[in-house]
This record gives sequence, C-alpha cells and structure tokens, in this order.
Amino acid sequence: MSEVVILQLIGLTVIGCGTLILLFVRAQFARVIGFVAIVLGLFTLVALSVPQMASLPPVEEKFDIATVKTPTDMATIGQKIFFSKGQCALCHTIGPSESARCPDLKGIGAKLSREFIFESLTQPQAYIYLDYRHEGVPKEYPARMPYINKNPIGLSKNEILSVIAFLQQMSGEPISVNVSELEAPGQAPAAPVKAAQSDPVAVAQAH
Amino acid sequence: MRHQSGWIQRLLQAGSGQGGMLSGLLMAAGLLSLPALAFGADVSPAAATEYRDIPYIGSRNLVWIVAQLHLLLAGFVLGVPIFAWLCEVVAWKTGEKRYDKLAKEFTKLLTSAYATTALFGGILLFLLISFYPKLMNYLTDIFFPSFIVYCLLFLVETATLYLYWYGWDAMQDGGKKTFHIFLGFLLNFFAFFIMIVPNSWATFQASPVVLAEGSDIARAWAATWNPTWWPVNIHRLIANVVLGGYICGAYAGIRYLSARSTEERDHYDWMGYVGNFIGVFGLLPLPFAGYWLMREIYQYNQQMGITLMGGFLSWLFILQAMLIGVLFLGSNYYFWLGITYRIPGSELKYRKPMLSMLIILLLCLGVWMTPHSLVASLEEARKMGGTHHPLLGVFGVMSAKMTVANLMILVTFMSFIMYWRAGKQETATWAKVARSIMGGVLVLAGIAVIILGVWGYFVPAIIRINYFSTSQVLIVLFVMLTITPLTALLLKSAKTTTDMVWGKMPPRAGYALVLNAIMVILLMTLMGYARSSSRVHWHVYGVLRDSSQYAFSPALGYAAAFMALNTFCFCMIVAFIFWVATMSDKAKASHG
Repeated sequence: MSEVVILQLIGLTVIGCGTLILLFVRAQFARVIGFVAIVLGLFTLVALSVPQMASLPPVEEKFDIATVKTPTDMATIGQKIFFSKGQCALCHTIGPSESARCPDLKGIGAKLSREFIFESLTQPQAYIYLDYRHEGVPKEYPARMPYINKNPIGLSKNEILSVIAFLQQMSGEPISVNVSELEAPGQAPAAPVKAAQSDPVAVAQAH
Repeated sequence: MRHQSGWIQRLLQAGSGQGGMLSGLLMAAGLLSLPALAFGADVSPAAATEYRDIPYIGSRNLVWIVAQLHLLLAGFVLGVPIFAWLCEVVAWKTGEKRYDKLAKEFTKLLTSAYATTALFGGILLFLLISFYPKLMNYLTDIFFPSFIVYCLLFLVETATLYLYWYGWDAMQDGGKKTFHIFLGFLLNFFAFFIMIVPNSWATFQASPVVLAEGSDIARAWAATWNPTWWPVNIHRLIANVVLGGYICGAYAGIRYLSARSTEERDHYDWMGYVGNFIGVFGLLPLPFAGYWLMREIYQYNQQMGITLMGGFLSWLFILQAMLIGVLFLGSNYYFWLGITYRIPGSELKYRKPMLSMLIILLLCLGVWMTPHSLVASLEEARKMGGTHHPLLGVFGVMSAKMTVANLMILVTFMSFIMYWRAGKQETATWAKVARSIMGGVLVLAGIAVIILGVWGYFVPAIIRINYFSTSQVLIVLFVMLTITPLTALLLKSAKTTTDMVWGKMPPRAGYALVLNAIMVILLMTLMGYARSSSRVHWHVYGVLRDSSQYAFSPALGYAAAFMALNTFCFCMIVAFIFWVATMSDKAKASHG
C-alpha cells in the first residue's frame, strides 16, 4: 500500500469519526471537535488529490574524468545535469511549450557558439539592456537567468562544459567541447566569476 | 592522529637520550594515554557531529511539529495583546464597559499562554541544538548579539505583562487608566520586537546577505537586515492580528453554542461579532503584504521565486487559494447571517446584494483555484495540446489571480460596510451625494481592477508586476480609505431604525466562526511549509547545504497530514489554555 493510499485512508477515517461525533454526540465541545476533524480530514484529502511531487536534493554527479573518453560521454553527463543538478528544465524546455518561462532551447547549440553559451551561463547579466526610464545613471534590469557557476546551483567548469556538449548534441551539431578541456580535481576554479561578485549568496560564506 | 604520532616520536627520541628507565616510563605513559588521545581526536572540530536523529518519528518531523506549534502559539500570544489593547482603547474612548471586560477576559489568557509558548520555545531550542549542531553553531556565530537582545526583550515583556494584567482592576480610573493603556501599548511594542528578532534568523536562512568582516554587532546587524526581513515582519504582524481576531471568534462561537442563559448567548454572540470584525480588518490588507513578500523573494532570487510559484510548490498555491477562498466565504457568510438575524427586517432588503456577492465570490474563487497546468492523462494532454487548457488556462496565470484576489477583497469590504449601515437611516443633508460617491468609487474601482487584469496579459511580466499589480492594490486601498471615513461620517448623525438584537444567531454561525479560525491556522501551517521548502536542500540558501538524510521536501499530501495534525494539536492546546483560564470564573459563578 503506497504512502498516499495510507494517508487517504487515515483522512477518510478522521472524517468518518467526525461525522459519527456530529451524528451521535450532543456535548457541544465534542461536536466542535468532530466538525474540526471533518474540516482537517477534507483538507488532507484535497492535498492528496493534487500531483504529489517531493523536492529531492540534486544527485551529486561524480565527475570522474577517467571514465569520460569522448565528447559523447560528456553530452550524456550534461543531459543528466540539465535535468537534475543544473535545474535548467525548471524554466527552459526543449521544444515549444506554452508553460515555458524562458527561451526554448531546441536547436540552441546550432544558433549560439559555445563561448556565448558559456558566457550566458556564467555571466547572465552581460548582454542585458539597461533601463533608461528614469533620471540619472541607467540601471541594469535583473537577469532572469541565474549564475550557474555560483550557489545555489553551483556547477563546476567540467559540468558546464558537459551541459554545452549536451546542448550541441541535441541540436544536431558536432560537439565542439573537447575532453582535454576538462579540469582534473584541484586545478583552477570553475569559471570566471568577476560579474558574479555582487551576488550576495555567492559571497556569504559558511563558517 | 598524525599530530599524535609525531608527539610520540618526539617522546621516544627524548627518552633515548636520557636513559632506559625514563624512556620506559614515558613509553608506558604514552601507550596508556593512547586511547584517551584517540578519544580526543574523535571529538576534535574536524569530526564534529553535524546531525543527530531519533528513531521512528525522525528528527525533522519532530522539529517540524514543535516549531509549528511554537510559531502558532507565538502568533497567538502576540496577536491577542493587540486585540485586547484595541478593545481596551475602544472601551476607554467610548465608555462601553463590555469592551473592557472582553479585553480583560483575553488578557487573562496571556499569562498561561505565554508560559506554554515559552515551554515550546525551550523544547524547540533543545531539539535544534541536539539535532542540528552544525547549523546552530553557524547561526549562533552570526546572531549571538541578537540572542542577548531577545532575552532582554523577554524580561521587559514579561514584567510589562505582569503589570498590565495584575494592575487591571487597580488602574481603572482617571490617570491610572491612561497609564494602563500606555502599559498595553508597551506590551505590544516589546512584543513586536520579540517577533522581529527571531524573524531575522529565519529570514536570513532564506535570503542570506554578504557578511563582511567586522564586529559581532555589525555582522549580526548585516545579517538581520536581509531582503525578506521587513516583508515577513509586516506580513506576520498583520497575520497575528488576524489569528487573534479569528481565535477570539472561534472561542466565542464555541461558548455561544454551549451557552445556557440569555446573557451568555448575548455576550458570546457579541464577542463573535468583534472577533470576526477584527479578523476581517486584518485579513483585507494581508494579501498585499503577501504580495510584497513574494515580490521581494523574486527580486532576491528568481530561482527561489520560481520554485515557489512555478516549481514543485506551485500546487501549494492552489491549496492556499482554496483556504483563503473558504476564509473569505466564511467571513462574508458570518456578516450576512448577522444582517439577517441581528437586524430584523434587513433580510429582504439585502437578500439580492448578498446573492450577487456570493456569486462574485464563488466565481473569483473558481478563477483563483484554476491551476496553471492541469492534471491530465497523456491522452487528455494531447487533445488539449499540452497541460495548458485552451479556455481555463487563461485563468491559471498571475494576472487573473491578482484580479480576482482584489475583487474578493472589495466584495468582503462591501459586506462589512453593508453590515455597518444596516438598520440605520442616514439623516445628513449630503447623504445622497455621499452614497452616490461611494457607489461610483466602488464601481469604477471594480472596472479599473478588471481592465488592468485583462491588460496585464498583453504586457511584459516586469511591467505587470511593477505597475499593473501595484496599481490594482493601490486602487483597492484607495476604496477602503475613501469609503470607510465617509461611512463613519455618514453614520455619525444617522438614526437607528432597528436596534441590533444579540443572541439570535443560528448554531451554524458558531461553526462558521470555528471554520474561519481553522482556515487561518491551516494557512499559517501551509505557508510555513512553503517558506521552509523554498530553501530546498539548503539550511541557509546557497550557503550552508543540508547534507542530512532529510534534505528533501516532502510532497504536499504528506505535508498536509502534518499540517492537519499540527492544527489539531494547536487547537487542543488553545482550548486547554481557555479552559484553565476560565476555570476560576466558572467556579465563582456556580457558587453564587
């Protein structure tokens, strides 16, 4: 028996008890308790009737360079990251969708160079138009795209390159990212972070 | 252990130079000390315990229950003083003693309610220290100065409460009453700070900021002043007033249902009216505060905003719409029952407007509850061309929801005005003009809200959020701020045609009051889950990751079962507090 079914049974039992109290008990306080039980039971049943989605922490993809032999291997890892740790699919779709909040990424690997994709992921503010609709110095519109190389998503350079490999592969393009570009653990930091230094989340440090 | 072996080697080297006896003794001592050193190494900071757990229920679930009960009780003990103080001020200004009696009746609850809240706070603190030592160390390191402030605030709040409660009868006349009112103000003043200090800890977890090097106070202050601190402060302050009002209403409802004498029925009917009035008074601006909070969250981190509104928590907002919708319906229903039963002769006059308002409320609720993406089978989704329904999908977006939320607030406000004016004949010469102005303002506001809502579909989201939604809110606020004083002026010289009759409400009015209170409590538990889950797998968003086995947010159904359990437990605790506090009164009444 699944957890949802068990909870539904509990909810129904609570509603049943409440109904019995209202039908057969005359003491007012007990009747109010019965009424409250019915309301709470109904609330639980309604909550159980909507899609049940738990939010699981992203799986820590072990990026073992030794196992990555070809760009296709990178694209396979990139696909996993796209739909898990990278949280790309939260806003982007691959193919048209009415519910998409951000650009459709179908064919993006053919439209944009890998350098531009890398920059879009790590410096999303780079090409945002300025807001001139007020006096004084123009302000930056906040980018909808988060810094992918910074927390809370925090992809490493290897992971970002893999995602680019995936985007190129699913666009039918030859993968221009090379396995030799992958950094072994302990090498230079993941990505240029100059533009991200104003990101408060990025700067606060755990002690 | 590396450090330890180096120490032993140095000892051996020293021993070889000083003779066999000394080296033998040292070696023996060293060997004997090995287990102790090994134990010492285990408790070094590098190997510090990050989490602890308990069997069966699990640490996270236990903390969830205790934290939720503590928060609800805190809302209660911070909401009730506001409610009591407002009643006392009304009594002081109008000379109506029953308001003073009501204020005293609720202040009496505070002493036992404070103790219970502090008890749950203490339990929560011990559980957090035990189960989440790493997180608590981290937060203590940042917020240590505000912990001290919090303790001091509790001391002054407790002293003020004792003075306020025990001095009630002694400070009834003249200047003493004024001083007592001032004490009530101080009580709420300190209570406000007691609320906002822990809010800073919780909001920092959701929206942490840069912590530059500096003094302890400077770092604590920087962390306190995080982007969601003030939106949460204001939202909670208003929500506490709502909770206080509706719990007063529920208490009155239960006492009304079990009342045996006419006096009791009259008194508790009136108390229910006051509770519902204060609850609605707080409920009307509450969505605006919620909107501000959501906007700040989006501005702080779009990812978090999307997780809340469009990610795995999106269905939660359908449940929220359902609860708020029932709350609006329940509050209006109670007003309409009041017009029907308390003001004889009004039933026929107001039947049609009440029916129209009910239809508008139900239509608005239907729109608010329409999900963005429907639950559909693969076949159904193919037929619709996606999970977005071709017709209903139009109602699933924010532009529609903001519009209906504002319309529901307008309708509820009109219910309140209708109730206020029922049974009175305006005698002012300018009454007709005033009524025309009020009617015009209301109709124009309704049309403007709808036009902005429809227009919102055709402009970029940023324009809609920054200008259209804000304008809708301002229009509704304008209506309230125009019509309320105008009605008050109009009724100042009005002639009462039908006196209000208390104690004639049907039993379902009592149940409506209980239902409203349950909706508010459930909403608080639901939004607590939303706020906590929006941090996903982070203790402190983007800074301190949750690496425990509970680093996931459970699905809505499972969470709802906990919310229902917490709501039930809270109701039982409050019922117990009411029972204890009124025990002596009942004994006195039965003795004569």
